[in-house]
Amino acid sequence: MRRREASTKVMAAGTAVEPMTVETAEEIAAQEFARIVESHRPQIFRFLLSSLRDVDLAETLTQECFLKAHRNWKHFRGDSSAMTWLMRIAINLQKDYWRNRRIQFWRQTRTNAVDLDEASEWLPNGERNAEQQMLAREQVAQVWQAVKGLSERQRTVFLLRYVEERELSEIAAATGLSEGTVKAHLSRALGRVRTELRGRQ
Amino acid sequence: MNWQQDRSGESPRMELEPDSELAQALRHFKASMDAWSNAASSRPRTAAKLAVRHSWRIAAVWALGCLLAAGSLAGAGYGIYHRQELARIAAQKAAEQRAAAGRAIAQPASVQPISAQSDKKAPAATVRKVSVGAQDNARSQDSARGQDDDLLATVDRDVSREVPAAMEPLAQLMDDNGTQ
Repeated sequence: MRRREASTKVMAAGTAVEPMTVETAEEIAAQEFARIVESHRPQIFRFLLSSLRDVDLAETLTQECFLKAHRNWKHFRGDSSAMTWLMRIAINLQKDYWRNRRIQFWRQTRTNAVDLDEASEWLPNGERNAEQQMLAREQVAQVWQAVKGLSERQRTVFLLRYVEERELSEIAAATGLSEGTVKAHLSRALGRVRTELRGRQ
Repeated sequence: MNWQQDRSGESPRMELEPDSELAQALRHFKASMDAWSNAASSRPRTAAKLAVRHSWRIAAVWALGCLLAAGSLAGAGYGIYHRQELARIAAQKAAEQRAAAGRAIAQPASVQPISAQSDKKAPAATVRKVSVGAQDNARSQDSARGQDDDLLATVDRDVSREVPAAMEPLAQLMDDNGTQ
């Protein structure tokens, strides 16, 4: 087995610590990446699921997202958080998917996206009475209806903010927009949701 | 899609603080998404079934493609065979026509030696009658055929008409010889 000295960390006092081999560095990187996958996979999957409303497609794109991240892991400089970096990859994958689907209209583009009523059926098992559950279901359906009418970027920003609970700066970094633009999109999206909620009353 | 283009459209009106009702709806929406996502993550995978269905679809597409290809090849082969068959029939017809024309021409010629050997006094009228009979024969055979047959019949007729004229001096000579 080829073993060569990859790096030597020097302490502040100038004393050399144990040299790190390439294999050791790779092992550490692999463990770190595995930890990131484990901790961030649910969020990436949830974001893609809420964007696409298709469980199979969301799983596929989540896998592709982490595959891409694994290939480019050595290029990740840590300018932003790993979550922001992963979210950016997921957003690009989602955009690629919609673009390809529009271009390749002649292909079989069967989608498993569930309709809004089915998506609204999901509610947490809280200690609510039937009336509260019905009210919650109705509100979820109205939000879904509003989300359906949003543009792609408005929907992305809205979901990142109110489902993934990301900060505006993180959303801006993930989408490549300025914070002002993110705020403008959020404002429009919230206005639409508000209108939908009032319109149904 | 150029997401940068909206940078110029930064709106000063920022209503990012939802009211209580909107906040409640957004909380429910997030809770719903969490529940759905958790349920979808922990659902049993159906990869094998999907793979089988996918392979069936591929097989069906391949079978249809092979069927179309085989149909196209068979059609092309039948077309070639049909053309060859038509050409063969046409060649056969043409050969029959040539044979018929040859027979029509040969009949008056075969009269000549008989009249020369056995009956040296055969009149020219007899030869003419025989040739006219052959001509009628040829006409009756060719009347049912096409334009080419008519043309061929015309040629045959012209040839057969010339035969008596060509035989006329010989017949006269034979008559003269007979009398002499």
